[in-house]
Order: sequence, then structure tokens, then C-alpha cells
Amino acid sequence: MQVRTGTLLSLGLVVATFLSCRKDVPLPPPGNSAVSTGVTFNIDSVPYAKLSQYHFFAAPMANLQPVAGVLPYEPITPAFGDYASKVRFVWMPPGSKAHYVSDSRSLDFPEGTVLIKSPYYDEVLPDHSRRLLDTRLMIKKNGTWIFAEYVWNEEQTEATLNMSGVNVPLTWVDGNGQPHDELYHVPSEGECTACHKYFDERTPIGTKPQNLNRTMAYAGGPMNQLAKWAAMGYLEGGYPNNIETVAKWDDPGETLERRVRAYLDMNCSHCHFEGGFCSYRPMRFAWKDSSDPVNLGVCVPPQDPFAPGVDYIVHAGNANRSMLYYRFSSTLEAVRMPLLERTVRHEEAIQLIGDWINAMPDTCQ
Amino acid sequence: MKKTVLALAMGLLAWHAKAQNTCATAVPLVMGNYYISQIDGMEVPEPVCSTGGDMATAGEWYAYTATMDTAITVTTDLPQNNGLDTRIQVYVGSCGNLTCYAGDDDSGTGYSSTITFDVATGTTYYIAFDNRWTNAGFTFHVGFAGPGPVVNGFSTVYLPTNGMAYCVVDMNNDGLDDAVSVTANTITINYQNSNNGFTTVTHNTATASNTPSWSMCAGDLDGNGYNDLVYASGGLSFMMANDSGTAYTTVNQPQYIFCQRSNTVDINNDGRLDAFSCHDVAPNVYYINNGNGTWTWHQGGLGDTPDGGNYGSIWIDYNNDGLIDMFIAKCRGGQSQASIDQLWRNNGDGTFTDVAPAMNLADYQQSWSSAWADFDNDGDMDVMIGASSFEGGGHKLMRNDGTTFTNVTAGSGFDLYNGTSIEFIARDFDNDGYVDVLGGGSLLHNNGDMTFSQATVPFSNGPTGDLDHNGFVDVQNDNTLYLNAGNANHWITVHTVGTVSNKNGIGARVEITSPMGNQIRDIRSGDGFRYMSSLNAHFGIGSDTTVSSITVRWPSGIVNTVENPPVDGMVTVVEDPTSSVGIAEPATAVITAFPSPATTVLYVDAPSKLIGRTATIMDLAGQVLARPVMEHGSVDVSALASGIYLLKVETTSGSKIAKFIKN
Repeated sequence: MQVRTGTLLSLGLVVATFLSCRKDVPLPPPGNSAVSTGVTFNIDSVPYAKLSQYHFFAAPMANLQPVAGVLPYEPITPAFGDYASKVRFVWMPPGSKAHYVSDSRSLDFPEGTVLIKSPYYDEVLPDHSRRLLDTRLMIKKNGTWIFAEYVWNEEQTEATLNMSGVNVPLTWVDGNGQPHDELYHVPSEGECTACHKYFDERTPIGTKPQNLNRTMAYAGGPMNQLAKWAAMGYLEGGYPNNIETVAKWDDPGETLERRVRAYLDMNCSHCHFEGGFCSYRPMRFAWKDSSDPVNLGVCVPPQDPFAPGVDYIVHAGNANRSMLYYRFSSTLEAVRMPLLERTVRHEEAIQLIGDWINAMPDTCQ
Repeated sequence: MKKTVLALAMGLLAWHAKAQNTCATAVPLVMGNYYISQIDGMEVPEPVCSTGGDMATAGEWYAYTATMDTAITVTTDLPQNNGLDTRIQVYVGSCGNLTCYAGDDDSGTGYSSTITFDVATGTTYYIAFDNRWTNAGFTFHVGFAGPGPVVNGFSTVYLPTNGMAYCVVDMNNDGLDDAVSVTANTITINYQNSNNGFTTVTHNTATASNTPSWSMCAGDLDGNGYNDLVYASGGLSFMMANDSGTAYTTVNQPQYIFCQRSNTVDINNDGRLDAFSCHDVAPNVYYINNGNGTWTWHQGGLGDTPDGGNYGSIWIDYNNDGLIDMFIAKCRGGQSQASIDQLWRNNGDGTFTDVAPAMNLADYQQSWSSAWADFDNDGDMDVMIGASSFEGGGHKLMRNDGTTFTNVTAGSGFDLYNGTSIEFIARDFDNDGYVDVLGGGSLLHNNGDMTFSQATVPFSNGPTGDLDHNGFVDVQNDNTLYLNAGNANHWITVHTVGTVSNKNGIGARVEITSPMGNQIRDIRSGDGFRYMSSLNAHFGIGSDTTVSSITVRWPSGIVNTVENPPVDGMVTVVEDPTSSVGIAEPATAVITAFPSPATTVLYVDAPSKLIGRTATIMDLAGQVLARPVMEHGSVDVSALASGIYLLKVETTSGSKIAKFIKN
């Protein structure tokens, strides 16, 4: 007998609001100036031992209120990470700017760029408080990207560099009051590299024009993110104005297929891509590739008899016989997909993928 | 709106197309897997034979007519169902006048159902699933609960497993392979009975922070006579058997590892098993066994590619120097150098050197495992490196020519074989004396001339061993055991018990000589990619009926030879530093000494036979230190200095030897 208690639906729809100590405090207005005030950054000395040494945030640091020049940004479809909320920022040394490469490749960032991502949970037991877990930096240094993982202390006063991959046990409560035990994993350097890989280079994932090309609320009013970056001097102008843009994965106004493709693009394509960690498998999940059903694995047999009876990567019309659905549904380390950044089931994504597969006519015989 | 109408129309089509919606249209079953897309049949299974009440509104109907008196198992406890909520009713009688025969709601994993029931020849049993909990579709399996008919040389037996059924190894120290399945806090062991069948026992354990999701291996890490288990996923957890093999202590190692293949092996050759794990995204790691219950973590020296790519480690002696080496099948997309395979030669001084380029094994091909064996029986280990994907090249059969490996794939059968897999293992499945390869959904049968023929088998890769002690290799797939029915060929199985070397003799080279020639095996813990298979060395000898010798070259350097052992059975060889002639024992007569460490009195586990006999206590070099008489089946060791010793006793049934530690 299965008794369903509550649903995580509401959480899946939580869009990261910028962080403050109390959840009801409104967002800080993002900095409008590219003049970096207060950030301490010496390319020869980074990564620093402590997050506070960069001075990216006004005190108290746990509020993650960015100083001027530290610009919040948000992908259209974000990566799932065990239902954690996330905030993201970009900072560049004064006078330097990124360049457009293509719709589907990350912007080409200048030396000294720092991309900042900070996952957190609201309503963490015992006292229903907000808990910052780690703050992840990608720093462009000597022409390549380095990773710097800062793990927050229990007091939430400081985060310390730790690249070994640690686990943080916690219990968070969802929108229906349901508690969830979580062994939150802070990725090791090797895990960072696994996803942020493009052939032999390291690359950001979220900063593709196709995923930034959206309107954001800024202090001066709503504005397209790329336009905002350009206005701030963070992006060289002259980029195309007809960017092929991803769907928002949880937008019910979009088609199932476009939502699935957007989700797979952000959560899966960095490995299942021609230069990716797992390019030797037949799927090609990047947005630019996935309009071809074969690249999504539709009616393509898996390369391994991995689970008896699961006969296609996507068995059109039959989610239960689809490897994609099978592996999305699992939490076993060696079965679940994505392998990294997920230890629990993403129920809304499973539902979406199941609905998409089951809505297809069965053409796989 | 259009879409909804279309979906509805398709649903109606499906409705009419499905025969199993009523008892009268029940679909006949034979053995195998069946798939139900949705429970929507109009005839609700009644009466309800299972628990869970009578609130179902739809059913799906099947019929099984028995062709022999046996028992069958119907189960939805299959990995692809993810523990989906199902319920089974089993009836006899006729449609419209059914009588409950059996039923099950939640006996399987999660909310899945499993039921085993007796069937009589000629009787039809109606098997119905209802939608008490969900309409969702699922797969179910019908199989014989006992050995069924032989299909392609194998019969199936249902085994009650719980969790990950990744391990076949002897767990109660009787020499017979047992089947182990585990969850984070249970170890379920199907102990192989000495007559036939299994005794199932579940041991509860403290929670393992790492499950064996990525891989599992086993070995007697603390040398107490009972195998311990190693789980590998986001790090390693050791499940340490107590001194009677009846309970397990969880040891969670704290380091994060993106584990792939794990192995137990004595890396520093100090007589104690260490634990090794491939790291997917960083240099490989290992825990050196300090011998006092503590472990020292190491990273480096055994595969140091910064971003990993390490998938299938396997410990073999490729150059016949008596030192255990390691090959790593490597894989990585995006044209990465991390995909190039490595062969780590043991230099004998605690260091290892990658000699893959010199040995022609530094291959880019995308491989997760490799099958090592002396495929041509010329006295050295060859390898079939299996492709997990053909993106970086195909399967490679590499013949060991002493100073290099020669690519002999062309014309071998592996050049034409289009099955890909993360799992490839080497076993002699038909006991013809030539080792075959299993992987990619087929068995590649060794024709004896370095060519291989593809044969269909009813299973995929899983843990292997001899689970009915008939001398033929069996394969487990989750809760189904595929028993190898065998043939007229003869065989011998060698069970190694180390004394100076590690207790399992892992890393030992076993060689037999029979009229057809010599054959070799290396004792290894963890081959293929995920599973742990028997630690016994299994040899087929074809039509030969004699074996003139078994030679075991132990990791310690000690060499023992057993002359003219009996064939068609298992021979236990115990490491004996005092004699080049090995001690061959029936499996049940191996003794253990306890407690270890001992302070004053040392007991042995077969005291009644040993009372009054003279024991020989010696150091690990075989130097005799004392010859006490075993007055009460025990000896006084209080005069011994702290250290590791051997106890040897002569009995009417031959020598017995055990290792012990003196405090």
C-alpha cells in the first residue's frame, strides 16, 4: 500500500529569489555600475582560503547582498540540485568584458572573471531557518577556468575552501510542511570538472546566450539580461538579436517537447554532448541538437542491457520501457541520471518526461 | 483539444486490442517477462486473495497451465518497476467460479509483489493484477521457483534477494559459493546448502553510508576466516564479518570517492588485504590495511590521470613474475586522454609503473571492463578489452606474447561481435578447458584456437559462481539464478586458503596440469565492472579424467604443489611455508585458530579430532618454535612473543594449518 503524503510540486516552481536572512525580505537591487567597489581580487592569489576575502557581498556575508559590480543573473531554465534554491552572480575585473561566441556556447569571458553560484535551503530544521551550504566559484585564470568550492560553517558566518567533496546532512521542509532528510553533497574538484567539460577545456554551463536571453527585474526596471550585461560593460555589443532561445522547462504554456528539451539541455547536455564526459553514448541533449528525436534517444536501443525490458532510451509512447525515464526515476548512485547534483527524485521532471514520452505514438517496433 | 481527442481514440484502440481484460480472455503465460501498459480491464479480480481490501476497480488477467509438478514464482519486484505498487491474485477453478489459491500485495521491494505457489500438471491457474493502488503499468516475471527446464544450457531458480544482488562468494567458510544481496542496512545471504538449495538469512547492519551501487567486492580483510564485503559508491563502506560469520559491523570510510570498479587485493604484499577503488573523476584511491582495524587512505601511484576516467580495474599477473599487477579499462568522452587504458606493473618494492604503452595496451577505446584469461593456454594471461561503445573503436583481443601484447582481434569473432557492454568477464562455461567471455548480451565461446563464436544465453552479466556445486559456472541476475546444466566435461575447482599470504589467497596464481596441458587462473576479487564473483579457481578439463598436479604460487612467494588431486570436485589448498608439497583438504576440514589475537590459550575449531595430537607452532618463514601437545584441543601460547604465527597439526586426514596473532 502506498500512501502519498504531500507533493513537491510547489518547490519545483520556486524560482530563486535573491537571498536575505529572512525569506520575506525583498531582493537587493542589483548593482547598476560596472565599477567594482569593494571586491578584493588578486589573480595571483586566488582561490583565497575564505570566501569573505573576496568581499563580493556586503556584511553580513550570509545575506549574499552583492556589492556593486557583482551582478545577479538567472538562466531561463536552471539546473536541478536536490530542490536547493540557488543564486548566481558574475563579476569581472574593471574594464574587461565577455564576448559572444554562439547561441549555444558559453560567452567567452575575460581573464579574472568570477562566476558565483550559491545553493541554499529555506526551512531547514530544527528552527526552520535558511541554510547556505556552499558557494561555488569558477575563476578564469591564465586562460582557463579553476574551481573554488567554499563550504559554509554552521554559524553561517564564513565559508572555507574545500575541494575534497564533503557531505552535509540536513533536514529541510517543503511547501507542504513535509520534512526531507538530505545528505547534501558539496562537489569535489573532479566532479566540477566532469560537468564543466568541453573537449579538453573547462567551460561554464549556465552562461550560454540561449539560456540568458530573458527579461529580468532590475532596480531600474525590467531589462533583457544580455542587454543589461552589455549596458554594464560586461558584454561586448554587436551580438545577434535573433538568439535561438531555450524554453522555460516549467512553463505550462510551452509544449512538452520544448520543456523536456530545455530540461535535458541544462541538466544533461554537458555530458551528453559531442565534447562531453559521456559523448560515447548516442544521446545529444544540447538544445541545438535535440530537435532531432534520434538525438533524444527516441527508438534508439541502449548500448548496454542495463535493465531487462527497458528496450529503448526513449520508447515512444511507453515511459516505463524507456531508459531515460528509468534512470530519471532512480536514486541509486550508479543508475540515476544525472549522476551528479542529484540524490533525490525530481518529481516534477519525472512527471514531465513521463508525460512527454507517453504522449508520443509508439513508433519503436 | 485536438490532442486530447487523439489520445482518447488511441486509448480505445488499445482497449480493444488487449485480450487480458477479463478472465475469459486471460493471456496464457509461459516463463519470462510480461509487460502491462495499464490496468484497465473491466473484470475486477474477485474474490481478493491478498491483503489490502476490495477497492479495486479494474484488472488484468493471465492464465498459467502447468506442464509439470513444480512451483512457480510471479513477481513485480523488478528493477524497472522501481518498487511500483502492485497486487497479485491467484485463482483456480473456472471463470465466473474462481477460488482463491494465493495472493500477495507487498512482499517485494517497495510496494511490489512476489508470490511463489505450487502448481500441478494440467491445472490452469488464473493470475490477475488489480488496480487497488494504481492503474500504472509495470513488468512482471514468471519463473520456476525450483530448477525449471533447461534453456540454452541453463535452468532458472528464483532466489529471495533484497536490494542489490551483486555478489556470489563463500560467506560461511564452507567453500561453497553463496549469493549475497544488500541494502544500506541489510545483508541477505542465500547460503548454499551442502545437499541442494539455499538457506536464506538476513543480517541487519548499521547503516552503510555507501551502498554497492557502483560496485561490490569481498575478501577476508581481517583474516578471521569469514569474508567481509566492500560497498563502493560515493566512497567505500566495509561490512566486517564477526568471528563466526553471523553478524556484520559497518565501517564507513570518510573520504568522498566517485567509485567505479572496486577490488580487494594485497597491494603492499604484507599478508593483509587492502581495498582499492577506481575513481571516475580523479586519481585512483586505496586503503592500506594496518592490521589493527584501522586503514590508511592513499591516493596516487595507481592511475593518476587528474580527471580520472578509471572504470574497470582488474588485478592479474601479466608477466608471470609472481607479483600482482593491475590493468585499468578506461573511458571518457570528448576525445579525452583519460580514456587511454593503463597497465600498472608491480615493481615489487611497493611502487607500480604504467607499462601499457610498451605492452601495446594503451588504447583509447571506450572500455569499462576487460576479460583476462589465458585464452590460448600457453601459460600467460591474454585479454579481451570490451567496448562499452564503438565510438572509440571496437573490442580488442590482445594475445600476450611475453614481451608485448599482439592485437589478434581480426578474424577472432570479436571483430564481428556487435554487442557492447560495461561488463565483460572470462569464465569457462562449458568446461572444455578453454576460457570463454561473457558480455554484451551474449556468450563468446572460445573455440580453442583464439577464435570465438557467439552463443545466445538467457541472462545478462551478473555475479558468477557454482551455486549448485555441479562444477559448472552459474550466473545470477537479480532474483533469478541461471544454473548451468553442464555437460559430460570434467572439472576441478581450487579453493585457496592463505596463511602467510592473505587468507583468501587473492593474487595467487593457480596452475593445473592435465593431459590436455596446463591452465592458469589468478585469484581475484572483483572482475568485470560491478559484480563480485566466486573466489574459487574453476577449471574445465574437457574429456580429461585426471589432473596430475595443482600448483599454487602464493603472493608470499611460497609455492605449493598438490599431486594427483581428485577431479570433478573442489580441492582446498592451504598455504604451507614448511613444504613445497601443498596441503589439500576437503573444504570442511580447514581449521581456524581463535581467538586471534590470542593472549594465553589458543583454540582450534575442530578440537575433538585434535585432542592429544602434537601441534607445530612456527613463524611465517616456517621456522619451528614449539611443538606442544594439544591436551584439550588447545595450546598454550603465553610464552610466545607478540607477532603472527602458524599452527600446523597432523591428523589422520592430513595436515591442517591456521594463522593466528599473538598479543
